[in-house]
Amino acid sequence: MTADEAAACVARARGGDEKAVLDLFHYMHPHVVKLVYSNRPGKEGLEDLIQQSCIKVITNLHKYSGRAPFLHWVSRVTINTCLNQIRHEKARPEVRLADLSEDEAHVIESLAVSPGALDTADQVGASELVEKLLQGLRAPDRLLMRLMYLEGRNVEEISKLTGWSRAVVKVRAFRARGLLRKRYQLLMKETP
Amino acid sequence: MKPLDRDLERLFSAASGAPQPALPSPAFGLETRVLAAWRSSRGGAPQWDMGVLVRGLALAGVLMAVSIWPAVSQSASSDTDSSLQLTDSTVQTYLSQ
Repeated sequence: MTADEAAACVARARGGDEKAVLDLFHYMHPHVVKLVYSNRPGKEGLEDLIQQSCIKVITNLHKYSGRAPFLHWVSRVTINTCLNQIRHEKARPEVRLADLSEDEAHVIESLAVSPGALDTADQVGASELVEKLLQGLRAPDRLLMRLMYLEGRNVEEISKLTGWSRAVVKVRAFRARGLLRKRYQLLMKETP
Repeated sequence: MKPLDRDLERLFSAASGAPQPALPSPAFGLETRVLAAWRSSRGGAPQWDMGVLVRGLALAGVLMAVSIWPAVSQSASSDTDSSLQLTDSTVQTYLSQ
C-alpha cells in the first residue's frame, strides 16, 4: 500500500468502511510490531503494547490530519504508547564483565584490540551488549538511544515521534551518552 | 573524537547491523478486537439529531395537552355547577325560614 492509498483508506475508514479499517490494520501491524519489539526487547507484555497501539490508532483516525504519511503518525502513537508504559521503569545497576556472555565479552575484547569496524560475526554479541549497557539508563533515555543510534533517526525525527522539543532531545541524548560512556568505561577497566 | 566515543560508535554500528528477529503475524483475535474497538468508538458518538428530539418532545406535549383538555374542562365546569346549586339551595332554605 502506498502513502496515497493509505490516505484514501483512512478516508474510507472514517466514512464507516470496515474493510478499509481491516486494510489499515494489516498495513500498519508489521510497522507497530517492529517499533514495539525494537524499543522493548526481551520484555514481557509486548502483545498488549501492540494491541494498545493498534486500537489507539484505529479509534483515533479522526485525529489524523493527513499532513504527514500515515505510518509516521502510527509511529508517533506507538512510541508514545511505549513511553507511557515504560515511564516508571527504573534503571538497572551497572553491568560487570562477569555478567556478560561469551559473545559479549568477545565484543569487548575486539573493541579494545582492533580499531576498525567489528566483524559481522560479532553483530549479535554487540546487539546484546548494547542492550545490557542501555539497561542502566532511564527508560525514556533508553528509547531515545535506540531511536538515535540503532534506528539512525535524527533529532528532528525523534522530536516529532516523541513530542519532545529538539532541545529536550539534545539534552537527554547528551546525558544518556555520558552515562553510557561511564558504564562502558567500567567494563573496559575490568577487561584483562 | 575520544577513543571511548569511537568504541561506542563502533559498538552501536555493529549492533544496528544485527539480524532482526522475524516479526510475528497478528495475534489470534487481535483483528477482531481492533474492529470491535473501532465499532464501539463510532457507536459512542451521539447518533440522534437534537432537532428531531426537541420536535418530538414538543409534539408529545401538545398531544398530551389536547388529550387531557376535555377531562380538565369537564371537571372544572361540573365543580362550578355543583357549587352554584349548593349556594342556591342554601339561599332558598334561608329564605323559606
